[in-house]
Amino acid sequence: MKLHTDYTKYDDEELIGLITQLREEALAQLYDRYSRLVFSLAFAIVDDRATAEEITLDVFMRVWQKAGSYRSEQAKVSTWLTHIARHHAIDVLRRRAARVDQYAVNWEDVLPTHESPEHDPQEFAELSQQREQIQAALAQLPADQRQALALAYFNGYTQRQIAEVLKQPLGTIKTRLRLAMQKLRDFLRDERDAEKKSVEARSAYNIKEEE
Amino acid sequence: MSEETHVLDLLPAYTLGSLDSEEASRVEEHLSSCLICRNESNAFQTAADQLSFAAPVATPSPDLKDRLMERVQASRPQPRAPIQNPSRSWLDRLLPAWSLASLFFIFVLAGFNLFLWQRLNQLEVVTSPGRMRAVPLSASDPTSRATGFVLISADGDSGALIVDGLPPLNESQQYQLWLIRDGQRTSGAVFSTDEKSYGGTRIRAPGSLLQYSSVGITIEPKGGSAQPTGPRVLGGPLFNP
Repeated sequence: MKLHTDYTKYDDEELIGLITQLREEALAQLYDRYSRLVFSLAFAIVDDRATAEEITLDVFMRVWQKAGSYRSEQAKVSTWLTHIARHHAIDVLRRRAARVDQYAVNWEDVLPTHESPEHDPQEFAELSQQREQIQAALAQLPADQRQALALAYFNGYTQRQIAEVLKQPLGTIKTRLRLAMQKLRDFLRDERDAEKKSVEARSAYNIKEEE
Repeated sequence: MSEETHVLDLLPAYTLGSLDSEEASRVEEHLSSCLICRNESNAFQTAADQLSFAAPVATPSPDLKDRLMERVQASRPQPRAPIQNPSRSWLDRLLPAWSLASLFFIFVLAGFNLFLWQRLNQLEVVTSPGRMRAVPLSASDPTSRATGFVLISADGDSGALIVDGLPPLNESQQYQLWLIRDGQRTSGAVFSTDEKSYGGTRIRAPGSLLQYSSVGITIEPKGGSAQPTGPRVLGGPLFNP
């Protein structure tokens, strides 16, 4: 138990380093931090709890086996995890149903989240901040742009497939995705300062924790 | 790079993975040579990455962590025990007479092996210049059973490495052979060993292998390192000065 407490003090990249040395406690700690993020994403994509759990296991097993391939200069650890999770989940989705006629996530459901912070408060603070940020950004988009974005991100559809499923001209879909992403990018750019503050707040929290 | 060939309009869909494969290849090709588009692409990628946080929050079953740790345990490289156990039970089931005969046979083989091994160890000494060389390597840790040979062609242009007794590593690691000359280390090969701790690979080096004075094998992250970072497991002099 004491050991576990120690591992909470490692940052994500340090945990990856420890995982390359086959320290199971480091993987357990990374799981505590990001299992909900990974599972939520997988669940949003495949819309089935058992499959989403299997994907979550695969993601963390892959981290266990391939931690040495993580490159900190390319992506944050959380981004690396969600990349793996999303690709894996979309692969599963494509294998399961080749038909282009339904989609799982409705952005209108996405906007407010009600789940309470029952886990590690540290995990929650950082992730919930990210969630609030992206939700605020999405709330600014017109519904048709959000819809196109959801089909691209959560269903892994190409622009052509989105046009097909929404029965819209391809050019219209291209424009919607482009405008949506541009707004998202600009919004998040503006929020970058706020994010920096959050990182500072987190390190202040860690220092306090160590005392 | 002229203005009209930029792929700025395609980047939002590219970072979402929503382009057809032809378009995606076009973008990738362009990004490899255009800094402007690469910077734009990174900005869109950051935005696309944030979308993962917009998934409705869901919590996995509480036992999922135990299942993960069980899988981790099961995936750990088992240090020879599972290989020995079946063979032991196979031996147990044999009649005592067979066991005796087998033991005798094993001793004969071991003796023959030792004889061959000594012959091989002398190879480097007996080979005269102009013939292929086989140079034995020794383990850095005296308790290790790791052994190996570097084979070098007569002209020094080609070489191969054979090792035994180097256990297979975790998937994120590989062994790396270093060619040493005047204290400078050059990578000669990155390789893995099989479940029998055996492995072989071709040695590739800039210039003739005859210019190197010794070799070393270290454990490195998968794909190898620019310079040795991990523990040395095997090595030895290539040529007596």
